Amino acid sequence: MLKYVLKRLLAAAVTLFIILALAFAVVRLMPGSVYDDPNLDQAIIDMLIERAHLDKPIHIQFYYFLKGVVMDKDWGTSVKVEPGVPAFQVLANRIPVSLQINLISLLISVPIGIVAGIVAALQKNRGADTLISVGVIIFISVPSFVFASLMQYFLAYKLKLFPILYQPSAVGALRLKSMVLPIAALSLSPIATITRYLRGELIEVLGSEYMLLAKTKGLGRFKATVKHAFRNASLPMMNVIVPMFANIVGGSMVIERLFSIPGVGGTMIKSINANDHSLTVATLMFYAMISIGTALLVDLSYGLVDPRVRVGGKKDE
Amino acid sequence: MSMYFYSGSGKSQQVVKAVDDVTFHIYQGETFGLVGESGCGKTTTGRSIIRLYTPTSGEMFLDGEDISGPMNSRLRRYITDKVAMIFQDPVDSLNPRMTVREIIGEGLEVRGIKDKAVVDEKVYSILNKVGLTREHATRYPHEFSGGQRQRIGIARAIVVEPAMVIADEPVSALDVSIQAQVINLLGSLKEDLGLTILFIAHDLSVVKHFSDRIGVMYYGKLVEVAEADELYDNPIHPYTRALLSAIPHPNPLSEKRRRRITYDGLETHDYSVEQPSMVEILPEHFVYCSPSEAESYRREFKRK
Amino acid sequence: MNKKLNSRLAPEDFVLVQLDEDLFDDSFVGQPVSYFGDALIRLSRNKSAIIAFGIIVFIIIMALFGPAMNQFGYNQQMVDRVNLPPRIPIFAKFGVFDGTRILYNRQVANLTDPSRYPEGSILETVRTFTSRDIAMADIKADMYKMHDVPDDINFWFGTDYLGRDLWTRTWRGARVSLMIAVIAVFVNIVIGTIYGAIAGYYGGKADMVMMRFTEIVGAFPQSILATMLILVLGTGIRAIIIALVVRGWIGTARLIRAQFLRFKGREYVLAARTLGVDDRKLIFRHILPNSIGPIITRAMIAVPGAIFSEAFLAFIGLGIQAPEPSMGVLLSDAQKVLTSYPYQTLFPAILISILMISFNLFGNGLRDAFDPTMRGVD
Repeated sequence: MLKYVLKRLLAAAVTLFIILALAFAVVRLMPGSVYDDPNLDQAIIDMLIERAHLDKPIHIQFYYFLKGVVMDKDWGTSVKVEPGVPAFQVLANRIPVSLQINLISLLISVPIGIVAGIVAALQKNRGADTLISVGVIIFISVPSFVFASLMQYFLAYKLKLFPILYQPSAVGALRLKSMVLPIAALSLSPIATITRYLRGELIEVLGSEYMLLAKTKGLGRFKATVKHAFRNASLPMMNVIVPMFANIVGGSMVIERLFSIPGVGGTMIKSINANDHSLTVATLMFYAMISIGTALLVDLSYGLVDPRVRVGGKKDE
Repeated sequence: MSMYFYSGSGKSQQVVKAVDDVTFHIYQGETFGLVGESGCGKTTTGRSIIRLYTPTSGEMFLDGEDISGPMNSRLRRYITDKVAMIFQDPVDSLNPRMTVREIIGEGLEVRGIKDKAVVDEKVYSILNKVGLTREHATRYPHEFSGGQRQRIGIARAIVVEPAMVIADEPVSALDVSIQAQVINLLGSLKEDLGLTILFIAHDLSVVKHFSDRIGVMYYGKLVEVAEADELYDNPIHPYTRALLSAIPHPNPLSEKRRRRITYDGLETHDYSVEQPSMVEILPEHFVYCSPSEAESYRREFKRK
Repeated sequence: MNKKLNSRLAPEDFVLVQLDEDLFDDSFVGQPVSYFGDALIRLSRNKSAIIAFGIIVFIIIMALFGPAMNQFGYNQQMVDRVNLPPRIPIFAKFGVFDGTRILYNRQVANLTDPSRYPEGSILETVRTFTSRDIAMADIKADMYKMHDVPDDINFWFGTDYLGRDLWTRTWRGARVSLMIAVIAVFVNIVIGTIYGAIAGYYGGKADMVMMRFTEIVGAFPQSILATMLILVLGTGIRAIIIALVVRGWIGTARLIRAQFLRFKGREYVLAARTLGVDDRKLIFRHILPNSIGPIITRAMIAVPGAIFSEAFLAFIGLGIQAPEPSMGVLLSDAQKVLTSYPYQTLFPAILISILMISFNLFGNGLRDAFDPTMRGVD
């Protein structure tokens, strides 16, 4: 088991390193540079270039960059988005905002999705199920940013129920209120995904023979579902929920922009458009870490639960 | 002939000796029955002969030609021309996407018969032989019953006019009432076409009815080979006796007296000192045993 | 119970059935139904899938011919006709899409100035009030009259901030988005199928190496990989397609490999092998057809995913280059003026939503049709 964990950890680390190298190379090879700005003083440009070792070949640059990252958490300095602030610091300020929104979204999605899934499965092909299934197909299909726009226009602008944009400086109720719409926009698709998955699993289990047995023993429908069916369905569900977090974080890039949330997503978009290279690399790495971290978590939990994976068997789709 | 499956690697390597040191021969025109409990390696033996698997070691000869060597297109051609196979599962053994005509005709097309009319004619006549009509040719497998499907499987095997047919438990997935039908069909086809058949089954009563000679397999080893009646009258190896004792008798009076003999290979034999091998105990009756066991078997039969 | 009765049966009472008679079966009534015919019948019974299919076809037709249905080009800028609301003659009678708009906080004194508010452009005054001693009003105005647009020119979906016709741009955007999605999905499926088929059919070492490679590529997060690629390749249709392909084929490859592993050991495949059928025929005739259902289903479900990815890239500023529109570009541009000109968001939003719902519904229908056991497991 330990060997399996180490192997996975090593694989994840290698992937991260490759992504880091690629991100670094990609960003340097990008057309355009902040230093093209004619308003900048040549002396300052020279100083900046000197500091980032931009006059040296790219692998030397990468060496210095890597050394900085490992030795003093130095991910370079932002030059445009927040001039002069270390990229690490810029992100450190923004990660909490993003994580807050994303985690709340996940925490809301899971229970709602589970309840909706159970209801749909129990009411299979009846009114409630039809309604939930229609909702599922809509929420899974329609992109989150479309919902975001709809809610912004109708709920915030027309009905004035919520602020249109996120209020970073507000405190208390107003700030919470300003978080409602972005969180709702982020949560719809995850809720639908969980509902659909759980409904499918439950219906399969409910049709199985041991459920029939449970019923002949006199177990009520609801009790039988929760006790037998749900327990069986919940373990594989973890493998749906955990990677979903990476999706939510990825999806929040756009939502953050739409609601002007000062999170990592907005920073990445700004840094890309402003050629703020160090910051772009740092944000890319943040998303890569979330993604690979969740994948690692799923892998490890698979290994814990299913010994076949551990000994090198293949898990297929 | 041996067939080992390897799994894992390095220290954890495990070798499954699915078929271990099995030797037998099948005469032309005879039906050789191969019996044993499930998992004993009979299917592996059959599939190795037609080279679905490559044997780990050993030799196989077909009409005097070595067919155990490395695979090449010529050998493939030689084997597939001479040997055909009938499979166990009537559902699984027919491609659900193909019509009966395509299924039966495929073997002909592989052999270079491209003329559609010729293929059609052959397919229709073979369908007739197995008791189906030419209208069935355009149908898909899922429309047929298990017995009919198995007959399609037989038609597919014999349409290429093989010298030998390996029938891998052709009736064990069928209803008892249909089993006789398919067995009888196989029997009459054998006579008409002069086929040699390797008949694999786990049901001794079916094998007895159908085979000229029978081989009994146990855990990858061939433990006894004899003519069908001889085997039934004078079973020698304890495993064969155990197998025979498990057959229910149709007569309720003798069925009541039937005693089951149980067999455990590790308990019965002590091969730590003597190596067992195939020994001819009675004429044309071979048993896998150690020299001392052979001695005691022989004594037993002298007394009779 | 029936002991007495049974014991009286003599051997003569039994007759052997089928002893000498030849086997002969009757032919079937009804028409033979092939696997795909069967799937098609099931699909045609699925109402929502059929409607979804109809909608997809309609949108594709509109994407092809919609841009040519009026006289405006997708990049034809009309500086004097900026941000005009939609006007559709049939709807105008009911008071929607009539080319009007509420203008807030106008000075009453200016309302009579014909150079600002041409004759007949003010339809009604919604509210009057005073602010800093100046008389103000909110008015409902006919924007077409205000911008001197002739009565016979209608912008069905309105115009954008550069005065470009949004009807033309919306359908052209749908065309571009669909094209990107279909090409990307097609390439993904082709690569994935070949890759998965080789790995699954030959198995062993080749399979191990090939699957390890997919694991490595698969470890990269899609959005990160796409972002980096576009940063390198620049923003263009081709770049976006490549970004969608680079990791997209892995899912198909895994699916096909699993299918091959499952089917290559089936008895009918072995049977074909014992008849001497060669590898090529085994793959294409016996094994691959089993995967066609899942492949088509997967493609249908992947299309909306690709459309979403394109829009996602547009939103983070990595969409295709202006002036070419796409669903993502349109939505992203419209979002900036959402509160003032909501109609600019409305039409692309409805279109992308309907398109994605339809693809998902149709995909579900296909899956049910090809694999009836999955029915109801949404």
